[in-house]
Formats: sequence, C-alpha cells, structure tokens
Amino acid sequence: MSLDLFLNQVVPVRQKLFRFAYRLLGNEEDAQDITQDALMKVWSQQEKMTELQNMEAWCMRITRNLALDKIKSRKYRLADELDRAGEVPASQQSPHAMAEKNDVMVKVRRVINELPEKYRTIIQLRDMDGYSYQEIADILELDMNDVKVNLHRARKSVREKLQNIQVYGL
Amino acid sequence: MDYNHIIALLERYWEGETTLEEEALLRRFFSESHPDMPEPLQEAAPLFGFFREEMEREEMLGETLSVRVEASPVAKVVALSPFRHWMKYAAVLLMAVGMGYAMKQFQRTETKARLAEVQQKKMEEETRMAYLETKKALQLLAKNLNKGTEKMQKLSYFNEATGIIAGTN
Repeated sequence: MSLDLFLNQVVPVRQKLFRFAYRLLGNEEDAQDITQDALMKVWSQQEKMTELQNMEAWCMRITRNLALDKIKSRKYRLADELDRAGEVPASQQSPHAMAEKNDVMVKVRRVINELPEKYRTIIQLRDMDGYSYQEIADILELDMNDVKVNLHRARKSVREKLQNIQVYGL
Repeated sequence: MDYNHIIALLERYWEGETTLEEEALLRRFFSESHPDMPEPLQEAAPLFGFFREEMEREEMLGETLSVRVEASPVAKVVALSPFRHWMKYAAVLLMAVGMGYAMKQFQRTETKARLAEVQQKKMEEETRMAYLETKKALQLLAKNLNKGTEKMQKLSYFNEATGIIAGTN
C-alpha cells in the first residue's frame, strides 16, 4: 500500500475510529491512543489492504479489537455516567426543563450503557453512524443475519426499559 | 400532521426492519419539536434525542484529535553516508593497530630474551670445558712431576748410601 492510499482512505476515517474507541473506552485520551495504535497497525499490515473490500470496516474492526484488549488488560472501568451528566450541552430552556431533560438523558444513557457490549455497539453503529448491516457484520466479524437479530433484540431491550422509565420513572 | 406514518415506521424500527433511509427520516422527525406528539412516539423521543446529543458531543471531542499524521504527510528520505560513524571505525582501527604493535613488541622482547639465554648457556659450557681441560693438563703435569720425584728419591737413597759407605770407611 502506498502512502497516498493510506492518506486518502485511512486517515479520513480517523475521526470515526476515534469516536468508536471513545464509546468503548469512555475516555478521550485512551481513545486517542487507541486511534493512533490502530492507524499504526493498519500501516504495518499494509500488504492486506489491496485484498480488502471495505477498508473502513477493517479499520473499525482493528480499533474495536485494540479497545477491547485495553479494557481486558487494565480491568477498565467505564466512566461513571454521573461524571458525565454535567457535560450535556447547555440550552436556552428554563432551568427546570433543562434539569428534567438532563435527568431523562442520564436515564437513557444508563439504559444504553447497561446493554451488553455487542448490543450497544450494534445500536451505536447503526443509529449514530448509519452503517449498513453488511458493514456492521464486517466490523464485528459477524454474520449479517446475526447483526439483524442482535439489533432487533437490542432495540427491544431498550424499548422495554424506556417504557419502564416512562411508566414508573425507573 | 399525519403521525400514523411515523408511528408505523417506528414500529418497524423497534422490530429492526427499517432501512437506513427510513431511520434517517425518523431521526429528522425527532430532531424537530412536536408539542402534540402522540403517546407511542413519546417513548422513542428520548432515545433519538440521546443519539443526537451524543453525536454532537462526539463531534466536539473529535475536533481536538491530533493531526500528527497530516502534519507530515511525506517523510523525507535522507541518504545516510556510510562514513557517518567514522569515529567508530577509526577507534576500531586504532585499537587493532595498537594491539598489533603490542604483540609485535612482545614477540621481539621474547626472542631477545631467548637469544641471551642461549648465549649464556653456551658461555657456561665453554667455561666448564676450559676448566676441565686445565684440570686435565695440571693433573698430567703433576703426574710427570711425581715421576721425577721418584727418581730423585732413588738418587737420594743412593747418595745416602754413598755417604754412609764413605763415612764408615
């Protein structure tokens, strides 16, 4: 792989890789490190690049594996959602409405974070990044049908918990 | 506004049957405010709100991502001279020369010492030989001298006898 190919196809997805790593690790610095490591790894395996159909998915897969390794090796603790509750951007609403909204966001965040890693990642890749089933299957090294089934289960689980929040305020 | 279409779409969304376009439509719908939103849509509103906020937050985070790769897109290839580390080579050469010289010096002194030893041995041998020769010669001389003494002894006996005879007569 030439340097041009790397600069044109891999470097532009750096932002996506960073976001993906950030979601898994919950820490900006570690996510940056993992992104750099992933780019280094991609560069070191450049001979594979020509055989690949979807380079972006391959880069995402490398990032995910590195992030999961880090979580395993360091018994990584995801940042407490309470720490991040204050990070929700300020808006023009009244303090009461804002507090209520923040409260809802904290609850939704908790719902998402409580999902198993696979479900959470699939939902994020689909609903936030807009990847197709095939791309998600490539990233997670799953069968496309597995992706559909897991997405369905993940959304079902989220829906049930959201209904509980709405009805019981849990 | 006709919410039925959105409600049907959301139902399919929960079942995981929507396409990417339909999901984009849902995201767009929930990004706008709808004061009279029906019950079935209200349960999904926080989820889509959460997705939107997360994406905005991540966008802000991503801006700080370092651009180390772009900063130096083409690394210059610098040709290194083979004599770049000339001091290393010079030191090795100097050491080799030094060791060679030392060995040669050592060999030279060794040869000198051996030569001197041999010469000394030779001289000792010669001295010993000379001593033996002298001893032999002196022995011979002593033996011959002793021979004379015997004869003189006999002569002395004869003289004595002659004296006695002359005295008594």
